[in-house]
Amino acid sequence: MTGKDRETANVGAGLWKGAGMWAWLFHRVSGLVLALYLFAHIWVISTGAAAGADAFDTMFKTLESPFFIVLDLALLAAVVYHAFNGIRVILFDLGIAIRQQKTLWWVVIGASVAVMAVFAVISFSYIASHG
Amino acid sequence: MWLWLLQRVTAVILLLGLAAHIIVTHSLNLGELSYDNVAARLATGFFVVVDFSLLAAGLFHGLNGIRMVLLDYGFSGRSQTVLSWLLLAVGVAVFAAGTWALWPWLTT
Repeated sequence: MTGKDRETANVGAGLWKGAGMWAWLFHRVSGLVLALYLFAHIWVISTGAAAGADAFDTMFKTLESPFFIVLDLALLAAVVYHAFNGIRVILFDLGIAIRQQKTLWWVVIGASVAVMAVFAVISFSYIASHG
Repeated sequence: MWLWLLQRVTAVILLLGLAAHIIVTHSLNLGELSYDNVAARLATGFFVVVDFSLLAAGLFHGLNGIRMVLLDYGFSGRSQTVLSWLLLAVGVAVFAAGTWALWPWLTT
C-alpha cells in the first residue's frame, strides 16, 4: 500500500499531520495539566484555610515569591491556550469555520501569545519592583 | 450527548469565571493576597457565585475531560460505567472539600 492509498483508506491518517494534530495534542496535554493542577489548588487552599489566618498569610508570602510567579505564568499559558483552542473547538461544533481550522489555530496561537505578553509584563514588573 | 453539552456549557462558565478570577485575584491583587484580602472579595455576593461556579464547573470539566481521555484508551461497557461513577464520586468529594475550604470566609 502506498502512502497515498493509506491516507485515503484511513480517514484518521490525515489528522496525524500538521496543525490539527498539534492543536489536539496541546489541548489534551494542557487539559490534563490543568485538571491535576485543580486538585492541587483545592488541596493547598483548603489546608491553608484550615490552618488559620496567620498560616494562610505566611503561605501566600511563599506563593507570591518570584519563583512561584514565574511558575504561575507557565500555568497561565496552559489556561490561555486551552481557553482559546476551546473556543475554536466550540466553533467547529457549531459548524463554523471548519475548513479554516488551520488558519484558526494560528489565530489561537497569536491570541495566546498576545495575552501572555500582557501577563508577562504585569508579572515581571511586579518582580522587578518587589523581588 | 448530555455530557458533551455540559462540557461546552462548563467551558463557557470557566471562560468567564476564570477571566474574573485570574484578573481580579491574581493580577489586580498581585502581592496583596492574604486571608483578609480573600475575605474582602468573598464579602461580595459576586465572588461567592464566581468561586462556587468555578469549583463546580472546573471539577466537572476536568473530571469529564479525564474521562474522555481514558475512554480513548479502551474503557467501554461495564468498565466505562464504573469509571464514570467513580469520577462522579471523586467530583462530589472534592466539591465538598472545596466548600469546606471556603467555609471560614463564608461564616464570619
